[in-house]
Amino acid sequence: MTDEKEFIAQLLNPKTQNTAFQKLLSDYQRPLYSHIRNIVLNHDDADDVLQNTFVKIFQYLKNFKGESKLFSWMYRIATNEALTFLNQKAKLSGITSEALQNKTIDNLKADVYFDGDEIQIKLQKAIVTLPEKQQLVFKMKYFEELKYEEIAEILGTSVGALKASYHHAVKKIELYVTSN
Amino acid sequence: MKEFKLENESKITTGFKTPENYFNDFSAKVLNQINEGEVKVIPIYKRKKVLAMLAAAVVFIALMIPVVNNYNNTSKDLDANTLETYLAYQSNLNQYDLINQLDTKDIESLNNNVALEKETLEDILSSNPNIESLISE
Repeated sequence: MTDEKEFIAQLLNPKTQNTAFQKLLSDYQRPLYSHIRNIVLNHDDADDVLQNTFVKIFQYLKNFKGESKLFSWMYRIATNEALTFLNQKAKLSGITSEALQNKTIDNLKADVYFDGDEIQIKLQKAIVTLPEKQQLVFKMKYFEELKYEEIAEILGTSVGALKASYHHAVKKIELYVTSN
Repeated sequence: MKEFKLENESKITTGFKTPENYFNDFSAKVLNQINEGEVKVIPIYKRKKVLAMLAAAVVFIALMIPVVNNYNNTSKDLDANTLETYLAYQSNLNQYDLINQLDTKDIESLNNNVALEKETLEDILSSNPNIESLISE
């Protein structure tokens, strides 16, 4: 924790800011990319959102109070950016967020940055049928393999509620895959 | 159909890939964007401020128009009334006082007026059929 405080101080000090921010980028670009990509699904969108996320992280660093961990604070920004992006894109296309995600999943087959097969597509289709919160919990737990405690910090819910959410999500997904 | 159980399956990955070297170039891209953003932020903020001040000034002037108009109107009315009242009741002005106030320019313009009046007079007299009776008087 003191390490983190020290690191935040380095991020805020104009002299050490650049080096510290580079370290932040190299430590978190991959996990945050996966997190965003799991929400927006295609690479180009994930690239845009990830850039915006880091720019926002840089801009808001001076307001970071240290009430939560830097890690969960950044995941929160990334989640919000990704969800806002999805909603805006759906609004621009004049369709619902779910319809947009289904369309994106159909396009995945032709995506050069996707090498999954039927089961991956089916799993994604099953996830889209879930409520937004359950989608997030499932992706963070199953794909990103975050701990319940970490997810709880990011989403601001209790571990108990998350376990129930994940359990529901798994049941619905299994049902969807079995019947489709 | 066989019941699908996530836990019985081997781990299903997302299948998502990234372009080669994507993460090598990524931090440079972000740092560029941040630096560009910092340069741009200042002029936009300043322009916003100027625009806001301009808008405030326009609104202020617009609000002042009726006030200024009314102010001028009322002051003119007052002046005319006061002057009239003053001249009619308060002053001892007579013809000589007025003549004393005339300067050379005023007299010249008076002369011009008189010249014009002469012409008009001649026109009237020549077109008047009863001119003899007027002369005999």
